[in-house]
Order: sequence, then structure tokens, then C-alpha cells
Amino acid sequence: MRKMLAAVSRVLSGVAQKPASRVLVASRHFANDATFEIKKCDLHRLEEGPPVTTVLTREDGLKYYRMMQTVRRMELKADQLYKQKIIRGFCHLCDGQTLLPMQEACCVGLEAGINPTDHLITAYRAHGFTFTRGLSVREILAELTGRRGGCAKGKGGSMHMYAKNFYGGNGIVGAQVPLGAGIALACKYNGKDEVCLTLYGDGAANQGQIFEAYNMAALWKLPCIFICENNRYGMGTSVERAAASTDYYKRGDFIPGLRVDGMDILCVREATKFAAAYCRSGKGPILMELQTYRYHGHSMSDPGVSYRTREEIQEVRSKSDPIMLLKDRMVNSNLASVEELKEIDVEVRKEIEDAAQFATADPEPPLEELGYHIYCNDPPFEVRGANQWIKFKSIS
Amino acid sequence: MAAVAASAGWLLRLRAAGADGPWRRLCGAGLPRGFLQSASAYGAAAQRRQVAHFTFQPDPEPVEYGQTQKMNLFQAVTSALDNSLAKDPTAVIFGEDVAFGGVFRCTVGLRDKYGKDRVFNTPLCEQGIVGFGIGIAVTGATAIAEIQFADYIFPAFDQIVNEAAKYRYRSGDLFNCGSLTIRSPWGCVGHGALYHSQSPEAFFAHCPGIKVVVPRSPFQAKGLLLSCIEDKNPCIFFEPKILYRAAVEQVPVEPYNIPLSQAEVIREGSDVTLVAWGTQVHVIREVAAMAQEKLGVSCEVIDLRTILPWDVDTVCKEECFLNLEAPISRVCGYDTPFPHIFEPFYIPDKWKCYDALRKMINY
Repeated sequence: MRKMLAAVSRVLSGVAQKPASRVLVASRHFANDATFEIKKCDLHRLEEGPPVTTVLTREDGLKYYRMMQTVRRMELKADQLYKQKIIRGFCHLCDGQTLLPMQEACCVGLEAGINPTDHLITAYRAHGFTFTRGLSVREILAELTGRRGGCAKGKGGSMHMYAKNFYGGNGIVGAQVPLGAGIALACKYNGKDEVCLTLYGDGAANQGQIFEAYNMAALWKLPCIFICENNRYGMGTSVERAAASTDYYKRGDFIPGLRVDGMDILCVREATKFAAAYCRSGKGPILMELQTYRYHGHSMSDPGVSYRTREEIQEVRSKSDPIMLLKDRMVNSNLASVEELKEIDVEVRKEIEDAAQFATADPEPPLEELGYHIYCNDPPFEVRGANQWIKFKSIS
Repeated sequence: MAAVAASAGWLLRLRAAGADGPWRRLCGAGLPRGFLQSASAYGAAAQRRQVAHFTFQPDPEPVEYGQTQKMNLFQAVTSALDNSLAKDPTAVIFGEDVAFGGVFRCTVGLRDKYGKDRVFNTPLCEQGIVGFGIGIAVTGATAIAEIQFADYIFPAFDQIVNEAAKYRYRSGDLFNCGSLTIRSPWGCVGHGALYHSQSPEAFFAHCPGIKVVVPRSPFQAKGLLLSCIEDKNPCIFFEPKILYRAAVEQVPVEPYNIPLSQAEVIREGSDVTLVAWGTQVHVIREVAAMAQEKLGVSCEVIDLRTILPWDVDTVCKEECFLNLEAPISRVCGYDTPFPHIFEPFYIPDKWKCYDALRKMINY
């Protein structure tokens, strides 16, 4: 028995040491960076677009891979927890788009193109962005399960997650776009060279308030990057049946636009850098359309196959999966090895497991907090409950 | 503010001195807290969200309308829409995702039966949907617009209140959009959180020119919806989404009408009057039964059905306010936005209603 224990401990310590020696070996055998060609973007009212080649360093590549894998695993875990009824309510996953592949490239690529001091606001498919904007998976999953360890103290849920310089997480479609224009105004006013990324979907692109926001942003030259994540379906309605013009990057009319391959993280990154530079130079707003796809349905209550075929989903999944694309690129250009990426997978999986454990075990917020944060007030006031005898305190 | 934030509210009125019961005098914080055990106290039980806060009580099978069929609420709605489109060649149904059947399956099969010119999807634009619906109605065609969730009706609030409601009045009866009906899933569902649970009828309840209707059951829904569609005034028909599948009863296959602006007394009583609409009717039916059994109190239960214009005569006679033994009590959702994790506490379930009733009697 003791011999076995000794052998086991040797193996375990050996495993612990492996990464270190791996890294030493890695720096000797891997390239530092590689140049890739990316798709040219379609342009609207722009003379030049983002570059068609980009350099990816090994460090960045590993970082993006880890982030994308984390977002994907996190969404898959959320899916699992939802099916176990540990997460209740509405859960809009962004794999593919929000949860799953597809949209991972969007949130990681966008983050790669801006600074942490820039601002971002999006609609309800927000889990990936919450992570890329700096919150931990623990806080996100705990918010989904409605526990006090969640980023909104358990009071927001899936659609209402917030972080520094990340304004959510908004349930009403399209309502976040005028907000984004307002944030951009604040950026311009503060004079710190910050921009605001305002995201919305192909469904929301037909809301009236979007056009009101376009007008204001263009009129006042606000540093606002409007980003339309076109995943081809607004809930159950395909873009052809919802929009008179599916060229969402042109819908800003007087606002210049570009159409980007949203499945390729490098394409997204370059386009974002281009757009951010445009805005920072004071030229006003710009519009980006990210062509992406969602594997899952619109939300957990939508199977996602009553308005499209399974073959379509399968085809996109096998040909344009962003994580797969990045992995192939890195391995083929000798930026990383398959084993190294597998190791990242394992670490990410563990991190998600731990976070899920926490999210399941953490207690729910206390009942007293039901009335908190309605207003901002000095003396706490009383909130009427279901009848005139039930009162709750409201504190900010 | 509470009215605005309310889920189906209900009024409670004491008409005669209640029975003296051997119950304890309860202070404000006593019983409610007892019932509102915080989730952490239950540990594992908190993981499993409890069953619905009501039990649907079907009405007896109607005999005066011909052959009936077992239907749930969304099937009753589909049946009403089917009848409408068959009877009225100008009727059209539109809204987000209605073509494949709708997110709650209320329009399943209608596009195949009546064609894509009469049942079609709109883009995602509530203000546009209602404005467009008003336009159709003004030409005389029958427009049945769907707003996917009542929570999303607010971009269309201006069109409803400022355009639809005032059309006939401001044109001196030259024009009207009376053939417009807006239907929308409504009310809490157990896990909807802030934006899939709201009951906004109170916002519209003070707008002359429109009618607001909330049914409690499949049989009521079909009759009331057909009345709304045929009514020559713009109507908003809120469908309690939690009842779409939970409520099943025998519903006539042929079209029939239930008159608007008429409340229904569904239980006779002499001590206390309980008024509710939508899902809450089933909650207070149970409360009335509990009150009879445990307190010997005889409760009258009224389903208001039409919120605007409401049936004042059934609910209160002119002199009634002089004869009340206790102030009217309003039991509803909390004065907070509809919460996410706190939903079970927010909902005015039968215990909160029963508690309020006890306090009323004790007044």
C-alpha cells in the first residue's frame, strides 16, 4: 500500500512539474508569432477597411483560446444547470453566438480590440461579455443560479449582469442602444479617448429607437461603435423575413459601416481595432456587422429547430466553429501544440466545475433584500408588501 | 405605485360583521414572516422551486353552446382566432413569430389554413406593430396584433394611448380603429423575472377609448376574445401565460360571445367580497373555501373580467361605502420591480390573501 502511495505521489508531483518543463521545451520549439490572412470586410461609406493580414503572437493566441474555451464551457455548464433546474427563468445562451461557438469569437475578439477602460453595453445574451469584461466564472454562474455570490447579488439573473465599464445585460430588445449612445457622449465629454461598444442583434435592428440613436450619434459625432451581431434569426424569424435590407452594416445610412466575419476571432479583433481608431480620431460613430450564428435556440425554451433545419446547424458547426479555427491556425503555424491546448481545456473544465459547485452551494440572498435598491435614499423607507400589513425596508 | 407593480390584485371588503373566531390577533410582522420563510432556512428545499401558487379550478362544462372539446388556454385562443378568420374575410393576425405558431403556440396551424397573407410575422418593433395595426383597423379590416410578452408593450404605449384610444373621439366619429385587438401573454409564471412576468393592465386602466380584458380560463378566454375582436372599440386582451397549459376545461367548438364590461359572481357570499382577475381568481377561490372552512366566513368571489370599462354595479352598489365594516384591502405584488430570485415571495399567494382576509375580519 505504501509503495503504491509513493508511486502515486511521484506521478502526481511529476505531473505538477511537467508544465514547467513543457514551457521550457515550448519556448525552444514554438514560434513567437505568425501572420495570418483574414477575410476582407465589406465597406459602406469607407475608403479603406481593416487590414487583411494580422499578426498573432503565441501569448495572445493562448489567451484567446483559453478565454473562448472558458466562455464555451461556461455556457455549456449553464445549459446543464438549467436542465437540472438549478438555474430557473430565462437563460439566453451564447454558444455559437452567445454561448456556444460562434459568439465566443465575438466577445473575445471585441475585447481584444479595445482597452479595459472602454465601455461596452449589450442585450440579453451577455454571459460571454460579462466574462471578457473581467468578472469571474464563479460570479456569473452564481448570478445565474440567483445566489448572493452573483455579480448582481442574485437579483438580476441571466439577463442583468454588470461589471466595471460593462453596462449589461438588458432585457428589452433595442433599449440598450440609445443608452450606448449616451455612454459615448459621456466618453466624448470626459475627454479620455474612450469609446463605447453598443451591441444589438439582427432582430433589434428593426426597432425604432436604434435609428433614433444613429441620428443622435452621427449628429453629435459620438465615439460610439454600433455593433450588430447578425446570427440570422430573431427568435424564430429569419433575417430575410424580418428585414427589408439584410445589409445591417449599411442600415446606419449616413454612418459608415463594415461587415465582419464574426466566426473568425482575428477578423473581429482587427475590425474592432479599426473601428475604435476611427472613433477615437473624432470622426463620429461607426457601424460593425458581425456575421455569426447560434447553435442553440434563442433561449432555453426554444429548441431551435422549428424554424431551421438540423443540417444547417450541423454544417455551420463543423465548418466555422471559432475555437476549432483558432486551434487549427495555432497548431499549423507552430504557435502551440495540441497537447498544450488540451491542457488548457482540462484547466478550464476544472475551473468551470469549481464555479458550478460554488454557484450551486452558495446561499440565496436574504429575504430582507427584496426591497433594497429601488431608489437611492438616505433614510430607509418602507416598501409595501402584498397587503398593507407586510412591509419591507428599502435601503440603498 | 403598488397598483402599477401589481400582479392580479384583488380587493377585499367586509360587508357585515364577520364571525367571531378563536383566532389570534396578528400583528403586522407576525404571520407574514412566518409564512415567508427565507429560502436558506429550507436548505435543499430551496433548490427545488415550488409548484404553482394556485390550482386551476375549471368551470362546469357549458351546455348552451353546442359541442365542446377539451382545450387548454392556448388552444382556446387558437380556436377563437380560427373562428374569427373563418367568419371575417378581412381579419389578419400578425406579430413576432406568429407564423410558425407563436412562442406559446396560440397561432398553430392558422397560417397553413388561411394563408401567409392573413397570418404573418412582423419584424421586432412593437411600436410599429401597433401603429401598423391601427392603420389596418382604420380602413375597416380586422387587425389582431400580438405583442409577444406584455412586458414589451411599452414601446407601443404611445400608439395605444395617444392614437388608438383617441381616434374616434378626435375625429368626431368620422374614423375609428375599433377593429383592432391586441393580444398579449400576461402575468407571472414562476420564473419569468423582471421582463417576462409583468401585469401592465393598470397602466391602461385609466385611458378612455380602449378596453382591457383579462380571462381566467379557456372557456372565458375564447368567449371574451371573440367579443373583443367583434367589439367596435380597440381592445387589449391579456392572456395569463401561466394558464396556457395549466388550465384545461371543456370549451365549445363553435364561436360564442361573453359580454364585455360584465363581472361574474362565481361564488355567492355574505360577509366579505373578494374581487380578482386572471390567474388570481383561482387563488382567491381557494381562499374563499379556506375562509368558509376555517373561519366560518362566507365570501363572495367576483371575477372582474373587463378591467376597463369595469362593471361598477356588480362590484359595489352606490351606498356600499357607507356600510363597510372595514377599509378595503388591496393585495397585490410588492412595491418593487418584479424580482428574479424573490419571485415566490413577491406573488400574492393564497396565504397572503388569507392573512389579509383574517385581518380584515379582525378590524
